[in-house]
Amino acid sequence: MRTRNKAEPWLFLAPALVVYTGVAIVPVLWSLGYSVFDWNGIDDMKFVGAYNYLRMLSDTTFKTAVVNNLLFMAGGSAFQLLSGLVMAIILSNISRGSNSMRVLYFMPCIISSMAICKIFEKLLSVQPEGVFVALLRFLGINPIAILSEPNWVLLVVTLIDGYKFCGLYMVIFYSALVALPIDVQEAAYIDGCSWGQQYRYIKLPMIKNVFFACLVIVLNGTLKGFDVPYILTSGGPGSASELVATYMYKTTFNSTQFGYGGALAVFLLLESLVAVSVVRWAQVRSAKREG
Amino acid sequence: MKHYEISRLQVVVFFAIAIAMLIVQVYPMFWVVASSLKDGADIADNPPYSLPSHIFWGNYARALLRSRLVQYFVNSVVVAGLTLVGIVFLSAPAAFAISKLSFKGSERVLSFFLLGIMIPIFACIIPMFMMYRTMGLRNTYFSLILPQVGFGLPLCIYLYTSFMRFVPDSLLEAALIDGAGTFQIFVRIMFPMIRNATVTVVIYNFVNIWNEFTYANTFMTKSSMKTLPIGLNDFVGEMGRRDWGATFAAIVLAVLPTLIVYFLLNKKIMEGMVAGAIKE
Repeated sequence: MRTRNKAEPWLFLAPALVVYTGVAIVPVLWSLGYSVFDWNGIDDMKFVGAYNYLRMLSDTTFKTAVVNNLLFMAGGSAFQLLSGLVMAIILSNISRGSNSMRVLYFMPCIISSMAICKIFEKLLSVQPEGVFVALLRFLGINPIAILSEPNWVLLVVTLIDGYKFCGLYMVIFYSALVALPIDVQEAAYIDGCSWGQQYRYIKLPMIKNVFFACLVIVLNGTLKGFDVPYILTSGGPGSASELVATYMYKTTFNSTQFGYGGALAVFLLLESLVAVSVVRWAQVRSAKREG
Repeated sequence: MKHYEISRLQVVVFFAIAIAMLIVQVYPMFWVVASSLKDGADIADNPPYSLPSHIFWGNYARALLRSRLVQYFVNSVVVAGLTLVGIVFLSAPAAFAISKLSFKGSERVLSFFLLGIMIPIFACIIPMFMMYRTMGLRNTYFSLILPQVGFGLPLCIYLYTSFMRFVPDSLLEAALIDGAGTFQIFVRIMFPMIRNATVTVVIYNFVNIWNEFTYANTFMTKSSMKTLPIGLNDFVGEMGRRDWGATFAAIVLAVLPTLIVYFLLNKKIMEGMVAGAIKE
């Protein structure tokens, strides 16, 4: 539609543009600016050039956080996508009760991560005893405070984060599966394709794009993982469950190193951009391979 | 129609797996509700997985009296309400301009907005903190509303644009010929026609805003300004060791509003969350 006045479209755009630029774009550049200074937030800012970025290379906590974050991302993505897919396949094959099961399965998605963390904190608590410890005792295993175990804590945090979000992928996969055209399934049936083959060769390849979309969401989410480890363990014990975002947040607001925090924030931004580009590239490549 | 008949055995196996996965998803919530109805002796003497020996409401009374849950709830409602209004009022007109008003560079403006979907809030939180500190805006509703509107816009503009493209141009042009102004066309024709998009935008954002943690934790330090998630954190931190019953009750009270809304509107909420997520 052509407007009478050429400036009119910009009147509709202006409020959103101003707020969005002011809130999202300008601060990114601003963070970039902070990252070349040494600053505790109060005294004068001292220009240090690339020092904050070089510092990352020798910062062992940062390196641990990156490795943890990669594990958190790999484990979390596998767990969330796989359990979502399995549940979606099962529910799309069940007719009775499938609706209410979907509603219940999705429930953790709409509960705040704070409430979920508090619930799990109590479930895993040793003193007073929570269900998890009671279960261990029942099985004859010595009760442990699993959130204080450096070897286990990262896995626990990954699973709790996954617990919150796997319902989302179930619903996405479910809607994709039930939307598949019926005639393709009929053709497969007539051609003697078994139930399993039907998924292996027909249904799952047909929802490949949905799978890639989910992959982008889950990678994006887990790379920026913050709430669950920050609330439950604050990255501890030591830095056993430290992720890049929790480390950045603590560096900035607890140790008031705004310059270094800014550099870590920039790293987080680049990391997300790279991850999304890699998935997109893989998607294009897989589409090309099929011709 | 010919289709796959799964065997009886398969049905049983499927149901078993589905129920097992469902129990894992639902049990934590169920456990908190059950535990919140136990009295002190019941919690201390019986194993944690036991059901309440009798229903006891006293924990709820203590949770409500000793905490500011009601205040937190009001804060959350105000922040969520105003943020949603801001998001809808800014993103719908912008999407209208991008999808329906012809001007040079509309695609580029859309890409500029979409860039925001990739930006983690952590890349912006330091400057925002500094700005609020300098301007004395910490512990105001505004400090939570502004960033959530700003970061909500990209996705909502995208959602709105994809809905608006389906509205036929001829309809808008007919109104134009009848003498309606652009603003009138937007308010009287476009906005009512994309009601469904507004529902999706509101639901998706409501769930995120209601549960938001990072901004609230950074900007709200005064107890009277806290939202439910961080208020709950305070309460549990304070009472968690001493009074388990009240802690459980507080957790239930904090998630109850969301759960009620969810069970009333579950289909719409699932659709909205999926529509929002898949566009990201």
